[in-house]
Amino acid sequence: MGIELYKEPQLENSIMFCGWPGIGNIGITAIDTLRGVLRAEEFAEIEPWDFFDPRKVLIEEGLLKDLEFPSSKFYFHRIKDQDLIFFIGEQQPSEGRTQYAVGQKAYKMANLVLDVAEKFDCRRVYTSGAAVAQIHHTSKSKVWAVPNSESLIGEVKQYENTILMSAMGGRKGQGFISGLNGLLLGVAERRGLEAVCVMGEIPYYLQAAPWPYPKGSRSVLELLAKILGIDLDLSGLDELAKTVERNIEQLLEDLYSAEGVPPEVADEIERLRDAEPTELGPITEEEQKKIMDHIDELFDQGGRKDERHL
Amino acid sequence: MKDIFKFSEQPKFENPSLIVGWRADAGNLGPKVIEYLSRKIKAKSFCEIEPADFFSFGGVSIENDAAQFPECRFYYGEMNDLLVFMGSEPQFERYKFLNAVLYLAEHYCKTRELYTVNGTISPIAHTSPRRILAIFNHQEFQSKLRDFGLEDMNWKGPPAISSYLLWIAKRRGIPAVSLWTEVPFYLAACDDFQAIKTTFSFLATKFELGSAFGELDDQIRQQNAKMAQLREEEPSIDKYIGMLESGVSLGGDEQMELTREVTEFLEKADL
Repeated sequence: MGIELYKEPQLENSIMFCGWPGIGNIGITAIDTLRGVLRAEEFAEIEPWDFFDPRKVLIEEGLLKDLEFPSSKFYFHRIKDQDLIFFIGEQQPSEGRTQYAVGQKAYKMANLVLDVAEKFDCRRVYTSGAAVAQIHHTSKSKVWAVPNSESLIGEVKQYENTILMSAMGGRKGQGFISGLNGLLLGVAERRGLEAVCVMGEIPYYLQAAPWPYPKGSRSVLELLAKILGIDLDLSGLDELAKTVERNIEQLLEDLYSAEGVPPEVADEIERLRDAEPTELGPITEEEQKKIMDHIDELFDQGGRKDERHL
Repeated sequence: MKDIFKFSEQPKFENPSLIVGWRADAGNLGPKVIEYLSRKIKAKSFCEIEPADFFSFGGVSIENDAAQFPECRFYYGEMNDLLVFMGSEPQFERYKFLNAVLYLAEHYCKTRELYTVNGTISPIAHTSPRRILAIFNHQEFQSKLRDFGLEDMNWKGPPAISSYLLWIAKRRGIPAVSLWTEVPFYLAACDDFQAIKTTFSFLATKFELGSAFGELDDQIRQQNAKMAQLREEEPSIDKYIGMLESGVSLGGDEQMELTREVTEFLEKADL
């Protein structure tokens, strides 16, 4: 179980950004977009076989050519004397059925990521994911930020369009971050590394949707660009956000007209459309359950394609 | 790694070939081929893999009215030139499990080459000959078996455990081949004796085990007679199988009906 280094870039005082798949793929879309825009160079990867099963085999003329695993790769780049490291994981290691990292493998993966961080003189780690929120899909997503040390709270408070858990009604500064985004904060803290998780908001009724939620990713990217003091061309992400929003509008319209959701659920979603954030009281568990029961059914893909394995 | 193995005896080997089969297989091919092979070579068990790291022990599954417990066992033949591994597919830690199989094969048994036997579902009729499709992990090994009538396979998609085993064997420098014998889709849940014989014949030729397949020939005759009876009694089944014999594909519902009728009929006939 280890790390394969393709090259050893001389990095100093670097910042690491980590992204994995999750709700709306908000985190991985944000971090991978940043990596792509900056054209960061690949330099290492975590050997996959102890964490993941292979997902594809290539057999040509009777010869086994390749076996493909989900990748977990590191990239580096320098901007304005600032060294950056990116970690992009195509899948979270899991010992259960959840898509989020749990168990020993998750802990080992988090430690391997931070081994690379420390080897390349990292001083700060950012992880990114989704914050399931009571917002409408036409609203701009805020970013929820959770640092791994109280000493960072003052800094996080200065971030634009960003809120701490304590600013959320009824949460009293408490919450839970699933998977590696959360685990990495804790493991980094144990190693004395600063880390902050930045989560773009996604409407709670879309949390089970099978498509990305680029608006959440955009808000995260805006924040990261500010932190790095750079301008980013996010037109590609904006286009995708518009397309997704149109699709959601169409889906809801079709559902409402076909009475695919009960009127009270439709009312609840529509109430969010024009509401100011201050008008939104906490949603009750019963209300959320009622909405999610219907929405989850719609996003449950069902059906299976060719399941042959060779 | 050594803690994974539980030895009942420690025989000596000189570069045996390893034949691997998995318990759940189309046409029950793997288990049956391993059963016939084990009888032929008078195989004795000498080692098993401890299951705790690889299987869920929340209970036991029930098959054919009996509780099943995962079992992964190595056998050796009386001439010590053939090794057999019969195993349940691990639920967890597949990489560790497959490495354990190959570790024992390589370091303890000095295995020179590896074969896996598997059934692959095919849209053919049971009256058609069964092809053996092959996947190799070394080109030289492929050339060596060129005259055995195996057909090269092409495939891109999810890997079976045998392909994963081949890939790890390649990293360890062990030549290996997966044999995928065609099983008519409607016999996938039953014993496909023709496919079993086709595979066993290949092994018997390759390892010079003789050519007497009396018991298997009887079973093929009996199964063919049952299928002929079903075709006579059920015109729609006769029609579907006739279409397959003519190279005409069946629709999804027709395939389902044919599979259900054949499976139920053969199960009842075996009672």
